[in-house]
Amino acid sequence: MKNLLDFFVKHSSWFVFTVYVVMSCVLLFRDNPYQQSVYLTSANGVTATVYEAFSAVTSYFNLKDINRDLQERNALLEHELVELRMELDNTRLLLPDTVALPVSSRQFDFVVAHVISNSIAQPNNYITINRGSADGVKPEQGVVDQNGVVGIVNVVGTHSARIISLLNPHMRLSCKMRGSDYFGSLVWDGKDPSTAVLEELPKHMLYDVGDTIVTSGYSAVFPEGLIVGTVQERAHNVNDNFLSLKVKLTTNFSQLSTVRVITNNMADELRALRRGENGEDTTAVDNGKKGGKP
Amino acid sequence: MIRTVLQFLVLAVVLLLVQVVLSKVIFFNVAVPIVFIYVILRLPVNLHVNWVLTIAFLLGLSLDVFNNTPGMHALASVVMAAFRHSVFNAFVPREADMSNPLPSTDSLGVGVYLKYLSTLTVVYCLLIFFVQAFTLRDVTLTLLRVAASSVLSIAMMLGIDSLVTTRREKRL
Repeated sequence: MKNLLDFFVKHSSWFVFTVYVVMSCVLLFRDNPYQQSVYLTSANGVTATVYEAFSAVTSYFNLKDINRDLQERNALLEHELVELRMELDNTRLLLPDTVALPVSSRQFDFVVAHVISNSIAQPNNYITINRGSADGVKPEQGVVDQNGVVGIVNVVGTHSARIISLLNPHMRLSCKMRGSDYFGSLVWDGKDPSTAVLEELPKHMLYDVGDTIVTSGYSAVFPEGLIVGTVQERAHNVNDNFLSLKVKLTTNFSQLSTVRVITNNMADELRALRRGENGEDTTAVDNGKKGGKP
Repeated sequence: MIRTVLQFLVLAVVLLLVQVVLSKVIFFNVAVPIVFIYVILRLPVNLHVNWVLTIAFLLGLSLDVFNNTPGMHALASVVMAAFRHSVFNAFVPREADMSNPLPSTDSLGVGVYLKYLSTLTVVYCLLIFFVQAFTLRDVTLTLLRVAASSVLSIAMMLGIDSLVTTRREKRL
């Protein structure tokens, strides 16, 4: 027994080394970003505080470009507003006495958040924002900025949350070409932070360089029609049965500042419905509805 | 004793925060300066290996939490810390006077310290970039990253070393 103890004491460094290496490897190769503890991600309190302090300084750096983007976006929306107003007036003339159309309750709301940490050069990129569960942010909510789609909320702390960036191979986004119903999934190929690849498109689909790619709305995360990017060229094909396109992303990931988290008021309902589709108990739908209404 | 521990604690926190900022800065899309391993390199020579490994693991893990790279820096710094002792013995002659157990340009001389520093930095950069590149499969780019980052890190850590040492001399 004494010899055994002596052996352990004499070679303790090897055991300590092995334990640490195994622990690191477990963390490293546990390849699922969705099941991480909040304490081991940048969404924890200490990290968020430090990043907030840094961001108080660095957030001023790109204001000029961000301002220009916002002005452009504003002009676009104003233009759209004028057009819609005209259309509305015309429709009123055509249908003078109809009962007011039923106004559906608003499905999507926004939580405005500030990016306090961001990375674009890692193989798996994440973004940290300064809004958390206390502000109504929940996992699996979509995040956009003024230029396009940014990512999906992944781990949520009280006052901070980690977003899995579009520049992360773990994220697949269902997209389609604006004006057509062919959809594919957008995934980052890990090379250039300004492009991603839209895969699994049907081979016979026609496209032009410069066509706009938007979200398909097939999940509860993003509403339909949010701009993601534009077609750049045909991508090198991995699978011969499908078409792949290289997409230039409209979001400038190196200059993220203010983003909006999309909260879907019907997400619970949709999720419950999908559970029902998969052959589980359909009473979950009712529960989801009750839970979904405030 | 307590003073040394406190000094190391301050050094670790400061370098960790500097590293968090530097990790976001990528020079020419290849070079990422790594400075926090200076803490591990500076630990006293006579400190038990178990302590060196533990400190390395905790430092690496803290950086991982900031960078959202679970386990990557922790693994690299533990392996580097394991090499530390043998690298030190390989470069420092046995009869060398080690009245000051903290490795630095002052206690070892510039030549020996540079060899010690560069070997361990290259080990660290090799580990970190090859672990990182598991998914990228681009060996030339990875090697370029290792080389550029090592050079940049070594230069920065020499600067930090001169800062830390002169400050101590003034205080005495």
